[in-house]
Amino acid sequence: MDLPSTWLSRIVDPALSRIAQGVSVIWVILMAVIVINVTARYLFEQGRIEFEELQWHLYSMGFMLTIGYALVVDAHIRVDVFHERLSHRARLWIDFYGLLFFVVPFCLVMLWYGWDFFIYSFNIGEISASPGGLPFRWFIKSFVVIGFALLLLAALSRLSRLYAGLFTRGT
Amino acid sequence: MLVYSHVELNEVLALAMFFAFILLVFTGFPVAWILAGLAVLFTCIAIIVDIDLGLFTGVDWLYTSITVDRVWNVMENWVMVALPMFIFMGLLLDRSGIASELMTSFAKLFRRVNGGLAISVTLIGVLLAATTGIIGASVVLLALLGLPVMLRQGYAPMLASGTVCAVGTLGILIPPSIMLVLMADRMAMPVGDLFLGAVFPGLLLGSLYILYIVVLGWIKPDLAPKLPGEGSFDFKELQRLVLAILPPAALILGVLGSIFFGIATPTEAAGVGAFGALLLALWKRKLDLPVFKEVLTETTKTTAFIFAILIGATAFSLVLRGLGGDELIERTLLNLPFGPTGVVITILFCTFLLGFFLDWIELTLIILPLVSPVVVALGFDPIWFTVLFAVCLQTSFLTPPVGFAIFYLKGSAPPDLQATTIYKGVSPFIALQLIGLGLIFYFASLVTWLPAQAY
Repeated sequence: MDLPSTWLSRIVDPALSRIAQGVSVIWVILMAVIVINVTARYLFEQGRIEFEELQWHLYSMGFMLTIGYALVVDAHIRVDVFHERLSHRARLWIDFYGLLFFVVPFCLVMLWYGWDFFIYSFNIGEISASPGGLPFRWFIKSFVVIGFALLLLAALSRLSRLYAGLFTRGT
Repeated sequence: MLVYSHVELNEVLALAMFFAFILLVFTGFPVAWILAGLAVLFTCIAIIVDIDLGLFTGVDWLYTSITVDRVWNVMENWVMVALPMFIFMGLLLDRSGIASELMTSFAKLFRRVNGGLAISVTLIGVLLAATTGIIGASVVLLALLGLPVMLRQGYAPMLASGTVCAVGTLGILIPPSIMLVLMADRMAMPVGDLFLGAVFPGLLLGSLYILYIVVLGWIKPDLAPKLPGEGSFDFKELQRLVLAILPPAALILGVLGSIFFGIATPTEAAGVGAFGALLLALWKRKLDLPVFKEVLTETTKTTAFIFAILIGATAFSLVLRGLGGDELIERTLLNLPFGPTGVVITILFCTFLLGFFLDWIELTLIILPLVSPVVVALGFDPIWFTVLFAVCLQTSFLTPPVGFAIFYLKGSAPPDLQATTIYKGVSPFIALQLIGLGLIFYFASLVTWLPAQAY
């Protein structure tokens, strides 16, 4: 769908794309960490807990940081059997209402409770429960908040673009 | 009496929530956010019902906030790390052109056989099973890779399109597929066991396809002509073909084998498999920086949309369960007058119907966890049931009028390919699927034997 850009989308969309580019590197690092850990396990007969924890730290950062980006590039799965036959305008309205009444409220709920979840971990200075695990458990928990904040930004950016597409003439 | 009516109202809400999902899916709004949004909406409704009607549904904001903990459970789930790695590995094989090289090599190898090209497409689909996340993508890949070649060679469009559709859906079943990783996670079973359970059913279906193509090519050679050109191989050519086929095949067998023999966990196998695919692409000098960047960006996008649906489905299932949806389904299923086998067949049939308009991700995340406790309680093997569920989904994607695979093939095939041609083309494959489904149903050891041998 072609949509006009707005001042908000001109700030948010490139920022989220930049983050997604950074995440691309995460997959390579993740692969390297796994390969190193497997090699180490066979050479020294033991895997290392911090390496295994590093793996899910990297992977969870990877998807939490890019769920919003997927909204920006419209990569989320739609069932387009009927969607394709609707008029351009009807599709814009569906996205507009969907973002406004479904995505934004969900983000707000997740941010509200996600913040408590993060702050609790931060206040008690939570670390990994496994011996030899990574410190700063609150750091990775903060990605719940960051992820949904980015999703909210992406939703607002797209809402502004849909609004412009629906109500601006001659674009 | 009051207690009775509260239970009923709860379940009315649960039903409304489920049907709201089915209806809203057709608006074409992203599935992930329909699920998430309905979770929030029905929490609001439940709270209003609590206050205004003085009934206790048990669903309020604090309950729905458990979603945060569930998202965290996904984040710290080490097994699921395999998912982006398998996606990465598949995309590497696909985008670096190793897949299309394989296609040409297989075609040469089978050029003396009528239907050789269709057989090549089948083998490619089986080998590249992990390539793509969704049905649409694997069908499109095969449609671009195999369909034009087959049509140019004078294949009947019916056979060519049927093969592409069927093989495109078979890919999700053959390990290492990301669908199986996600299913195992939802069923709380080891990924390795499910992979191994799916090996023989997947091979069975693949062999049925190839058998059908060979027999058809033998009876009606015009439908699937041989490649022109001289008949025999010289040694050099054979060597080249083997060199082209062997490394990717060894890579995928290595990934499976290391899980089978307990050498590596699925996560490790996925990471090392991705590394292997990277080395392979570099060794074949098929990887430059733009392609590598594209592979990484696609990995990011695919991972993002799968986890978005995972998060949405988590919120949705949580609220649905809070409203008593799972008890409702359990009671309905157990009260069916068919006996345990009948219950399983009913579930599979409903799955088949739902598969008309939902991709496997939604069905795996929402329906599978709802029905599996019932099936397990009835004493069936969970791996056997999950594989049946998967085959059933795959059949559903093939079946007109709204099979996913047909829909995507129509979108990516040359415009003169009629929908009716595709329908006729997939019909024999649907018959093969039903034969396969029946065999797996009656011979459960097809699924259960291999996992029992492992480790």
